[in-house]
Amino acid sequence: MEITLDKIIPIPLKENLEKRPSEVWHSNIRFKTGEKVKIKAPSGTGKTTLVHFLYGLRSDYTGTLNWDGKALNHLKPDQKAGYRQKEISVVFQDLRLFSQLTARENIELNRVLQEPYYPATVIDEMAAALQVDHILDQAAGICSYGEQQRIAIIRALVQPFSLLIMDEPFSHLDLNNTKKAAALIDRECDKRGAGFVLTDLDEDQFFNYTTYLTL
Amino acid sequence: MLNILLKKIIKKGAGRVRYVLAMVGLTVALLLILAAIQLQANYQQLLHGNNAQDSIANFLVINKEVTAQNAGNTNLTDEDIADLKKQPFIQGVGVVTPSRFKVAASGGSALPFYTDMFFESVPDQFLDISDKDWKWDDNSQYIPIVIPNQFLDMYNFGFAKSQNLPQLSHDLVKSIPIQIDIQTPQGQKSFLAKVAGFSDRISSILVPQAFMEWANQNFATQPPKGASRVIIRTDDPSNPALIAYLDSHHLSTDMEKTRFSKYRQIVGFVVQVSGFTGLAMFLFALLIFSLFIELTIASCREEIRLLVTLGAAPGQLSRFLMKTFYPSNIIIAAVVLIVLSVLQWLLSGVLAHESMVISPFISIYTISGAVIVLLILWWVHIRTIKRQIAGT
Repeated sequence: MEITLDKIIPIPLKENLEKRPSEVWHSNIRFKTGEKVKIKAPSGTGKTTLVHFLYGLRSDYTGTLNWDGKALNHLKPDQKAGYRQKEISVVFQDLRLFSQLTARENIELNRVLQEPYYPATVIDEMAAALQVDHILDQAAGICSYGEQQRIAIIRALVQPFSLLIMDEPFSHLDLNNTKKAAALIDRECDKRGAGFVLTDLDEDQFFNYTTYLTL
Repeated sequence: MLNILLKKIIKKGAGRVRYVLAMVGLTVALLLILAAIQLQANYQQLLHGNNAQDSIANFLVINKEVTAQNAGNTNLTDEDIADLKKQPFIQGVGVVTPSRFKVAASGGSALPFYTDMFFESVPDQFLDISDKDWKWDDNSQYIPIVIPNQFLDMYNFGFAKSQNLPQLSHDLVKSIPIQIDIQTPQGQKSFLAKVAGFSDRISSILVPQAFMEWANQNFATQPPKGASRVIIRTDDPSNPALIAYLDSHHLSTDMEKTRFSKYRQIVGFVVQVSGFTGLAMFLFALLIFSLFIELTIASCREEIRLLVTLGAAPGQLSRFLMKTFYPSNIIIAAVVLIVLSVLQWLLSGVLAHESMVISPFISIYTISGAVIVLLILWWVHIRTIKRQIAGT
């Protein structure tokens, strides 16, 4: 899927953001299918706000944001859900797992929310690749942040998508685990011919980015 | 699998006790509503059923009031009868045919009595005597007659006591042959009669219409008299319209009957009250249910929001919540219908002993009532769930 931003600016940050230069806010941008986009964003520049805008969680902005040419504000809840099931996947900065479900159930939920893209065994394969296979049957609430982050990444990868949005997806991981996670993400995106938008505080070399933007 | 996970996420947050209470409330409400519908159906069946054993159908014998002005001329004209038939509160009119000959009865050696008397007849459908006992043709050995219950009571408790005579049971009276002497232009003719039944409805001595027509044709010593009394069938003897009609036409009837019908009105009123109570309880149950759903959804608002964030469609969630909450309503309706069916079956058995016939099965109206209630519940559930999900 393709996302276009036309002079988007968040209403609560309007005054601050208008004063400083940005390659995203107040610009015309197009995230084309298959593009690997990195958005470098220092603290306080509205990184998470942007992710929420892109994923359709918030709409307190001026300008237009389109999913496949359709204004996101005008999509019906069921249409939005259709996109989230088949086209767009997400890794939140605050992870957002169901703490009362086990790690496996959290992943499974996103697998069966639509016609499953992968069989259930893929959960074990991905968990093994990210070294979290031993905590799969543990309640997500008692897993460490690092473990939860990897569970959230696997959850995002078991569903079908053509665009993956990630908000500081490696913030709780060491370099070794980050490399493994990045490799898995890269592989899954390539397999689907999908692109991603990754936001982070600093520059990195984990992916071969096609676009590099500063917020 | 999805449903198992959803069930884990969306706990019945408002608590099991409250849920059970709401269920009990709905059960009682449904029982009251459907019982009221079923009672109405039974009541209508008893009232309007054209059944031989139908004992509370209301028959009234109507005649003109005898006053100083009309004494000796109290016949109802054809116009009077035609007008009666036209009234919406009268379902049937039967002319009471008087005999046009002199009759005397005696008990022979078994029961030494002798009396002058008279006969009248009414169409058969106004009597609750089986066809077998109430038949007459030229070859019949006995003329069946019906006498008022009051006659036997007067004899047993008044006359027999004071004269030291034996008291008589219904069965004994029915077994005694009575000699009937009719004065004909050709002289006296004798017949044998037997009491075929006792009537509370008509204060007269009745013979089959067939015998009356035959005897009037052959033995009449007087010209046709016209109808002095008619018998009517009405579904509600206390109908103010009927009473007003009778008053305005100077007709009189058995006031005891119209008083009895007051009880029937009270029964009807009680049935209505139970219906209204049921309806009120149903409204409360609906309120409790929608509150319960709102509470459940409110108590896991965060979870539902996260589900929607992850891509759960509102439709998907609605379907899941409907599956969670709705089936218990169907079970309740089914249980209530089964309970009512059993009660109806028992009631029909009990009433059969009282010679009142109602269907042993619950009425189609009761079942339709249950379906309508389920549809209303469906609508309330869908609406509450949709509104709550949209609000998260």
